[in-house]
Amino acid sequence: MSSVQLFQNLLNGISIGSVYAIFALGYTLVFSILGIINFAHGAIFTLGAYLTYTLAVGQFGINGLLAGVALPWQLPFALSLLIGAVLSGLVGLLVERLAFRPLRNRGGDPLLALVSSLGVALVLVLVNAIQYLVGAEIYTFPSGVYGDLPPAIVLRISGQPVVIRTVQAIIFLVCLLILAAVGYLVRFTRFGKALRAVAENPATASLLGISVDRFILGTFFLSGFLGGVAGALVGTSFGVAGPYFGVTYGLKGLAVIVLGGLGSIPGAVLGGVVIGLSEAFVPADYGAYKEAVAFAFLFVVLLLRPQGILGRKQLQKV
Amino acid sequence: MGQFFENNGFLLVTLVQQALLALSLYFPMMAGQLSLASPGFYAIGGYIAAIVGTHDYFAPWRDALGAWIFPLEWLLAALVSALLALAVGIPALRLRGIYLALATIAFVEILRVLSLNLEITGGAIGIFGIPQLFEARFAYMLIFAPLLAATLLFGHRLERSRIGRAFRAIREDELAADAMGVQTTRYKVLAFAIGAVLAGVVGAMSAPFLNTWNARQGTFDASIAYLAYVLIGGSRSVWGPVFGGMLLSALPELLRPLKDSRLIINGLVLVLVSVYLPQGISGACSRLLGFSSKRPSGSGELKEGA
Repeated sequence: MSSVQLFQNLLNGISIGSVYAIFALGYTLVFSILGIINFAHGAIFTLGAYLTYTLAVGQFGINGLLAGVALPWQLPFALSLLIGAVLSGLVGLLVERLAFRPLRNRGGDPLLALVSSLGVALVLVLVNAIQYLVGAEIYTFPSGVYGDLPPAIVLRISGQPVVIRTVQAIIFLVCLLILAAVGYLVRFTRFGKALRAVAENPATASLLGISVDRFILGTFFLSGFLGGVAGALVGTSFGVAGPYFGVTYGLKGLAVIVLGGLGSIPGAVLGGVVIGLSEAFVPADYGAYKEAVAFAFLFVVLLLRPQGILGRKQLQKV
Repeated sequence: MGQFFENNGFLLVTLVQQALLALSLYFPMMAGQLSLASPGFYAIGGYIAAIVGTHDYFAPWRDALGAWIFPLEWLLAALVSALLALAVGIPALRLRGIYLALATIAFVEILRVLSLNLEITGGAIGIFGIPQLFEARFAYMLIFAPLLAATLLFGHRLERSRIGRAFRAIREDELAADAMGVQTTRYKVLAFAIGAVLAGVVGAMSAPFLNTWNARQGTFDASIAYLAYVLIGGSRSVWGPVFGGMLLSALPELLRPLKDSRLIINGLVLVLVSVYLPQGISGACSRLLGFSSKRPSGSGELKEGA
């Protein structure tokens, strides 16, 4: 592999890896507080993509209830992304309030299995509702959606071209910004301190006067926000490939958090970048196997270091 | 009456087949383990039957064995599933909690990508024209119904055996079981392997029944469908999964008049049952009739379980 190709792969890998990172962060936040995997996270990802598309472009295809509808306004991309993500966050909040909390309070019996299936059932509802509204077709963002930016910058390194797509640069910058913000929020604010207290031990946190339920709601909002942004960014880069396109990313995100370490925030980021890079370095001849890379990682991690790269060792409490 | 069976043969056999797949998920759950691997083993079993049934390499075998090739396929599927179950189960089941679920999701996805791209599995198109065991669809009941009966009997006996008690001990409290000298990893792997073998055999029986086999047979969606069968039917006895499997695979047929919104309704039914009948329908029924003394487990399980 020439050094130019290496550089190109690195760029591609870091860009997609940073999206995996913020997406996986959404899983990790919920896991660190409740010890559950929110399987509905993949659907939030899809939702974020559709919402942002609706706000920024607002032109629907030939299938579904909204067939042929064109919204009278189009918002700038940055604003659409923000509003889309906030709405996704609100849906995440509703999911907790209307589904997960009642289930927890009832204390169903294989709880792990119930929570998983509930999450997926929610995926079914959301995904099919989207399909009902706008059909299963592919929606792509028009190239001018970011304003007057060129679609790509071509660098020349020793005479050979290295292409940086504008989308990739935007994705990377947005992700960096979000990671910094989340990092700050969790590390340095009162909210973050309380959040970590709840994650450590909900009962003690509640005795110390922290309203645990409210923090769980807040976490679901944040998680939904991150999922929504990730979906919108992948959507602008590769197109919104039908209501089910979030499900694959949802599963891949699970591999990311296991690789990084369940419940570890830096782990989710590291895992995302590692998997993004590994996918970018899959040779073109074996491109079809790219989809399996993340899951192969998951197995290797389980064999060699089950707590993940940055995870804490499982404590066995009685 | 005969007409009814002829017309609905496919649906009736499918109900039994889905009940069996629900049971394949129930066995690991007897030991408290959430496995989503059934579609993977089901797909492997089907591919084994499809390849043995159509590939040139096996032509002399087919000529020599005649219809006995089918039991051979089932045996082969059982064997391969058992070996793979050990390979997947041992690393994942040394750990507690959610790891088995995640490993089995990865297992199903890897198999799906492989079967989409390998030549021997027919790529994205799959394998066509798999030789039939019977001509009439309904006749497949002759293999599926005995398998269901045998599995139920096995499950019933298992629950009352030493192994079944070990499963239950692990399910109620793994750490306590461990402390009492139950070899938890070994029993968890065993429970997982029983489910895997069952799913593999069902796959091998289903490939001739469906006539074609492709990568869509083993997907994450199917994992969740089977899980829903068990949870909605109830995961406390062998009857729950059977009931859930039959009910839920008939449900889309019953909802057909609702057309486009059918799948949304289907999802909503799952959400509502999960939240409001967490013990499943059979659990709710036995509570109504007053002979369930099972404690409802408190939410304290939440942090520890995962």
